[in-house]
Amino acid sequence: MIIGLQIIAILFAFSMIYFAVLHYKRRELNGLEISSWLIMWSAAIIIIIFPELLRSFAETFLVARVFDLMVIGGFILVISMVGSAYIRTKSLERKLEELIRHEALTKAKKNK
Amino acid sequence: MKIFVVIPLYNEQRHVVKVLKEIQKYKLPVVVVDDGSVDGSVEKVKSLKQNNLTLLEHKVNLGKGAALKTGADYAFGHIADAVIFMDADGQHEPNDLNKFIEVLETHKYDAVLGSRNFGYGVPLVRFIGNKIASVLIGFLFGLYVSDIICGFRALTKKAYEKIKWESSGYGVETEMIIRLGKSKLRYHEIPVETLYHDNVKGVTILDALGIFAQVIQWKLTIK
Repeated sequence: MIIGLQIIAILFAFSMIYFAVLHYKRRELNGLEISSWLIMWSAAIIIIIFPELLRSFAETFLVARVFDLMVIGGFILVISMVGSAYIRTKSLERKLEELIRHEALTKAKKNK
Repeated sequence: MKIFVVIPLYNEQRHVVKVLKEIQKYKLPVVVVDDGSVDGSVEKVKSLKQNNLTLLEHKVNLGKGAALKTGADYAFGHIADAVIFMDADGQHEPNDLNKFIEVLETHKYDAVLGSRNFGYGVPLVRFIGNKIASVLIGFLFGLYVSDIICGFRALTKKAYEKIKWESSGYGVETEMIIRLGKSKLRYHEIPVETLYHDNVKGVTILDALGIFAQVIQWKLTIK
């Protein structure tokens, strides 16, 4: 039987699929990216509906409950994504600064 | 010695014209770097008819550190031997420029640092904050500068090339001091007067906390 928490998680996963497709249609994601997101969220839906699929996996890592394993996996995923986003943002900031400073130097105006 | 004055500008339309007119009498080339002002500051600068004034414009706000770097790059790319950094908010007394020029030309220091003192118009809270910062930097990096965050300072071309900073925001002054200490350049401090016009501008307590986090990072990364 599917419980309330699973329903919320499934609705969330479907809404993320909707946003992924929306961004693909706006050409903000390419074919490989949309495929990766669809596979990831589809896998998440399957695991949400049939959490017992991860039972043996959880036992291998000595995690008592499948739910705990999913929470740990979620944390690892979120932390790695935040780290990756931080590095990309820093890189973009640096590129933006270089571009704006270069433009300012090449378009210097002398007051006459 | 060819000395340029570099002034970072961000939303200072009330003071910038007065500042530029007051330093005009020194006949020094002036580089104003507008850092994405939205209050009409740029138009005020453009309306001035000063031959020795150059305006550089950042299309978006990058921060004081980036503006200083742009100004210094321009000045040193146009035969400057040294630059004097000065704020656009009228906080610094233009008459103090003479002190910087004299020290740069006669004593051959690589850097000249302005130092605001309690008796020179600095509010008590800021004075205490500055002293705590000075002691902290002294403890962590082994050099004592009496006013770490004073923006009124001068650098020679040699010093600029050695201490080129990465901070784009308010941490720039602190990073300059740290890199100055690490590079073993000769520096000299001179007392400067300060006039506070606006209590809501400048370094806030949150900026100070951010700078503190950066100081820890510099302790680990700057060799």
